[in-house]
Amino acid sequence: MADTAKIRFEAAGPGGKWGRGREILFRLSRLWAWVFLGLMIAFFVVAVPVYNGGSVNFLTVRNSQNILVAITPVLLLGLGQTFVIISAGIDLSVGWVMSLASVVSALAVRAAFNAGVPLFWSVVISFLAAVAAAGIVGFFNGVIIAKLKVPAFIVTLGMSFIVRGLGLLWSENTTVIGLPPGIRAYGNEALFYFIRGEGGGFYFFAPPEISGDMLRRMDRILPYPVVITAVVVAIAMFILRKTQFGRHTYAIGGNVEAALRAGIPVDRRIIQIYMLSAVTAGIGGFVSTLRYTAGSAVIGDPLLLSSIAAVIIGGVSLFGGAGTITGTVIGALIIAVLTTGLVMLNVDAFWQFIVVGAVVIIAVLIDQSRDLIIGRRKPGRA
Amino acid sequence: MTRKHVIVALAAAALATAAGAASAADKIKIGFLPGVVDPFYQVMQIGVEKAAKELGIEVVTQVPPTWGVEAQTPILNAMVARGDLNYIITAPTDKEQMVAPLQAALDAGIKVITVDTFLGDGDYVNGPVKFPISYIGSDNVEGGRISARGLAKAIGGKGKVYINSTNPNVSSVEGREQGFKEVMAKEYPDIKVIGPDYNLDDQNKATQQTAAVIEQNADLAGVFGTNVFSAQGAGAAVVNAGLGGKVQVVAYDATLAAIESLNKGDVSLVLAQKPFDMGYMAVQFAAADAAGVTSLPKRVQTGFAIIDKDNVKDPNYSRFIYKAQ
Repeated sequence: MADTAKIRFEAAGPGGKWGRGREILFRLSRLWAWVFLGLMIAFFVVAVPVYNGGSVNFLTVRNSQNILVAITPVLLLGLGQTFVIISAGIDLSVGWVMSLASVVSALAVRAAFNAGVPLFWSVVISFLAAVAAAGIVGFFNGVIIAKLKVPAFIVTLGMSFIVRGLGLLWSENTTVIGLPPGIRAYGNEALFYFIRGEGGGFYFFAPPEISGDMLRRMDRILPYPVVITAVVVAIAMFILRKTQFGRHTYAIGGNVEAALRAGIPVDRRIIQIYMLSAVTAGIGGFVSTLRYTAGSAVIGDPLLLSSIAAVIIGGVSLFGGAGTITGTVIGALIIAVLTTGLVMLNVDAFWQFIVVGAVVIIAVLIDQSRDLIIGRRKPGRA
Repeated sequence: MTRKHVIVALAAAALATAAGAASAADKIKIGFLPGVVDPFYQVMQIGVEKAAKELGIEVVTQVPPTWGVEAQTPILNAMVARGDLNYIITAPTDKEQMVAPLQAALDAGIKVITVDTFLGDGDYVNGPVKFPISYIGSDNVEGGRISARGLAKAIGGKGKVYINSTNPNVSSVEGREQGFKEVMAKEYPDIKVIGPDYNLDDQNKATQQTAAVIEQNADLAGVFGTNVFSAQGAGAAVVNAGLGGKVQVVAYDATLAAIESLNKGDVSLVLAQKPFDMGYMAVQFAAADAAGVTSLPKRVQTGFAIIDKDNVKDPNYSRFIYKAQ
């Protein structure tokens, strides 16, 4: 993993008798998000049944799948954002790009289906339309940031307004409805079905025709939105860890001058990074259209800040040059587990904002204190 | 108290206890999931809690922090995952997008009652969505009509009026816009309708949008705010422009802020819905359904109270103002 924080840690040397302690502290600082998630899950597993007198359990099959579905929109936004923040940039347009993609994919699937294209291919067309629309936005973001040297914060903020206007315009200021009825299955059905208790079992791919009591005992395992997100996560991990593109992303985030001098095509990479960020947001919009059987021009707006929070909690440094996809997944999980757990404890879900905010600040503090742990040496000392 | 009164009182107490014991035997648990944090839903919650207390039913309440399916759905899913709820009383935040999540709740064995807003087209007998037990809410189209006539009267039957609304594809405010435009088109041809603009349930945005319209249209005569935040925001813009009392405002939803504006003369008509009724009845419907009643009406129209400066002090009208009781 080309991680500048780790490189600097190792370059700093063992540091004498405090070395061992520092090393442990450093490793802990990278794992703290995992630890926090584990503690939170343990807390809810104990607290939820206790509070509800034994009638409600936290770690059920249905609830675990719920949480996976709940992280889908935030995670899809966060995946591309991870690349952007590692490269020491920021993409504030992802929320509205997701909304635009939702509108475009809804319009596309409706038009294709009404023109006689079979449902499956209509959905494929809808996916391509969402990705294409998002990619174009990302391209413009990247070009203006790289070639015109305008700061990313400003460009993506401005672009978010343009995209928002387009989304509202094309959806004619209302939700895009009238989608083919089969869409709901794409957004809500799953790979596996498990029916608890009597007469139950595991079913693959197609739910059995049941009703009443057996339907109630059926749990959907790995709903399609989760599958799509998992695939995108895997691809993102591969790109970040195993490709030159990924290494370049870290390098640009660590020190852009050094990257240039090392011969990295910085401008081209920046354009690609912002396109990637927009495309993952576009996939998010496509998935949302499937889940809610409608295109919405406002669906992504509240999710932007949660996606940035997830990325930061996951350990991506705001200063660039460090972070992993896994971290972002953990960050998204922390937020979703928190929301779900609070509802099951019948606590106002508003507490989630307070807790997430506190966790984000702790994450940034830990990130900054890594420098202390590494032990920046004054010039002149051995 | 005479001896007769004491016997009657004791008998009533015995009946109540028996009823309480009977309902305790088939205890149900209800989830209450309104649209967003605002005074209208807070009064609805008072109704829900009163009925629940009287019937000995436990209610799990969660209020989404913002209006939208991405805020309401995770909370809905968490409530379903609890596994111990029998009914969910909810105000769906989109009449199309919430169909899939609420259908999933039904599949998990939780029956749905919608309050204030509906799914599909609101007709749970013949419409595209039939699974909720009932839709308990105002006739929003009629409310729009009443608002239109009230505003037309206040501005003398001619001029420009502006609609400021919250979200598209939300059944409640959509109905109000529809009723308003219908009456203006048919009965008041001399009135021109501008808008609606959508403030996405953000009061500040409502103020900005209304201020822009006021700037553009020096001859603006009236404004219709279709719900709590629209009315408060639009009313604030009128006052900020120094036009309080000159541009007539009709406010839907009788919040304390709207009533204050009414008293000051900045708002000429306030339409109060009956959210307490909606919440109270929804819980009763759930209890009735659990007890085996099968003839619950699929549509209950809760009425309005039309409040103006002449009757605002009359307790028969002021009781419908949205306040914590």
